[in-house]
Amino acid sequence: MSRKFLDTESPGWVTDGLISEAQRQQLLARYPQQAPALGLLPILGSVLVGLSGLSVVAANWQGLPTALRLALLLGSLVGSYGAGAYFLRRGNPDLGHGLIGLGLLLFGASIILTSQLFQLVGYDASGLLAWVVAGVGLSYVYGSRLLVLLTVLIGAAVQTYCVESLGIFSYVTAWLVVGGMGYYWWRRPDVVGSYVLAAGLLWQAGLLIIVLHAKITWFFVPAMAIYAAGDWQPNRLGGRALQVPPLVAAYLFMFGLAVFGEADAYANVLRPPLLPYLGALAAVLALSVAGKRARGSLATLPEWLLLLPGFYLSGGLSLAVATLVVLYAHAGSVLARANRDHDPDQLTIGAVLFVAATAVAYFKLTWGFMDKSLFFLIGGILLLALSWYLRRRNAQVLAAAPAVAQQAGTPPIPANDSEAAEPIHNL
Amino acid sequence: MTDLLSWFSSPARRRPMLRALVAAQVLYVLGVAGAGYATTALGQKVMLATTPIDPRDLLYGDFVRLHYAISETPLSRWQGPAAPQRRQAVFVLLATGSDSLSTAVGVYPQAPKPGVGQAVLRGWVTDVYRSSFNLRFNLERYYVPEGSGLRLEKAGRLHPLRVRVSIAPWGQARITGVEAELK
Repeated sequence: MSRKFLDTESPGWVTDGLISEAQRQQLLARYPQQAPALGLLPILGSVLVGLSGLSVVAANWQGLPTALRLALLLGSLVGSYGAGAYFLRRGNPDLGHGLIGLGLLLFGASIILTSQLFQLVGYDASGLLAWVVAGVGLSYVYGSRLLVLLTVLIGAAVQTYCVESLGIFSYVTAWLVVGGMGYYWWRRPDVVGSYVLAAGLLWQAGLLIIVLHAKITWFFVPAMAIYAAGDWQPNRLGGRALQVPPLVAAYLFMFGLAVFGEADAYANVLRPPLLPYLGALAAVLALSVAGKRARGSLATLPEWLLLLPGFYLSGGLSLAVATLVVLYAHAGSVLARANRDHDPDQLTIGAVLFVAATAVAYFKLTWGFMDKSLFFLIGGILLLALSWYLRRRNAQVLAAAPAVAQQAGTPPIPANDSEAAEPIHNL
Repeated sequence: MTDLLSWFSSPARRRPMLRALVAAQVLYVLGVAGAGYATTALGQKVMLATTPIDPRDLLYGDFVRLHYAISETPLSRWQGPAAPQRRQAVFVLLATGSDSLSTAVGVYPQAPKPGVGQAVLRGWVTDVYRSSFNLRFNLERYYVPEGSGLRLEKAGRLHPLRVRVSIAPWGQARITGVEAELK
């Protein structure tokens, strides 16, 4: 609650007899006025001075002697780490972690600029690998979210460079991110960090598929392995957060298949050899089910519906209908779970998925033979009716379970194994 | 200690850890610089000719764009079992001719054994055509000291440039000099 809100609203609460004047004073004392943001001005000033210095150096970079260039790079690297450690000791963690993050970025810049200084080219990832190692090390030492994000991003950037420029996939980089940051996530599952880690890992998986010239559907084997890792995570919120990016990817794929899958032209790019693909996917499924069972979250099993390999069906109406059935089944499972858990957020997501599936189904199945004005009229009425029904359902659920709904509004309690007791806020 | 993470992040260890990490990073950057000097000192030296290219394309800010004569290779020089693929890493066997310029003898998917007077330069396939294919060596940019780019640009318009490249035994390479061909 912001102090400003308290200042403006609390006199009204006293007038209405909600709290006494003494309680109002207690409340105000509990949330003291924030110190004015004067500390920001010197920071801003030093950023501007730093930028001017940077522009002078950048403009004359090629003219500077080699030794001076190296000294400038290393000096700013050490200075940034030193300043970061100093501010951390002074009890300013944001600035401290920010400066240490800057030091990490400067390390990468130093490697690249030094190679450029000597016109040096390398033929493997070893040059930039040190950057990822440094990122993992700093994340472990400082345990800051910013450093974790930077390290995942650096891992993705180094891998992109390897694939784009060297034509190789650096397995060491991938394993550093999977092992190093994966272990970090396992011990400290933070929601934002989980999203970023999952997205970074999906990126690496995508690059691997590109390098191997494999069918793009293979992507979902590593993607669902990430999902399965989320099933095993004891902290439900962190685990769910890790599962969101793979689920979104799977949903978008299934949705795309429903919309564009009719033309058989796509299908051939999508079909890997049947048995190896299904075997790999089944192995990941088994892992995921075991995790769900161990953590008591078997209710989320219908999410695997999105992985049904409908692309083995020949294109055309059969594929369109099959994917639509899957989309409906998935949306229905989300709605059913939301109803059971009395979770309004989940209910909203389920409603959106349901409407999306309906829209696709309607467009796919009736566009061809219906008069266009009639088409839009019926489509509009259909959507209005659906939204009215879902809204009513939502209101009923909210009214039926005020206590649970209230709990959903409070900050989530981490580290809870029992799923039914705790609403899930994600897809 | 069971938890690796709490071992690393314990406040008592933080300071020495940061020192070690920063020292390692500084040493690493110095190592990159050292590798630069060592490549010149220990590397095998070859001289490559560039082909004149669109002069508007030549000077890109701080660097000169170089287009090597060996970048375009006829498919007959390809020594692999399967046709070359885009992005594939390849090894170019170079032989030095009488004019001290090195030319491509063959392009291999695996590292060949160079004979006397031969060197191996690594590169990547960028495009494959019906009878030839193009290579990239990551040596296409030469960062010139302030002001001297113009001289090279003028020279490059009229004549091919000569690029001196050092190839280190451990697989790095660097441009050690670019000069206009003397005629």
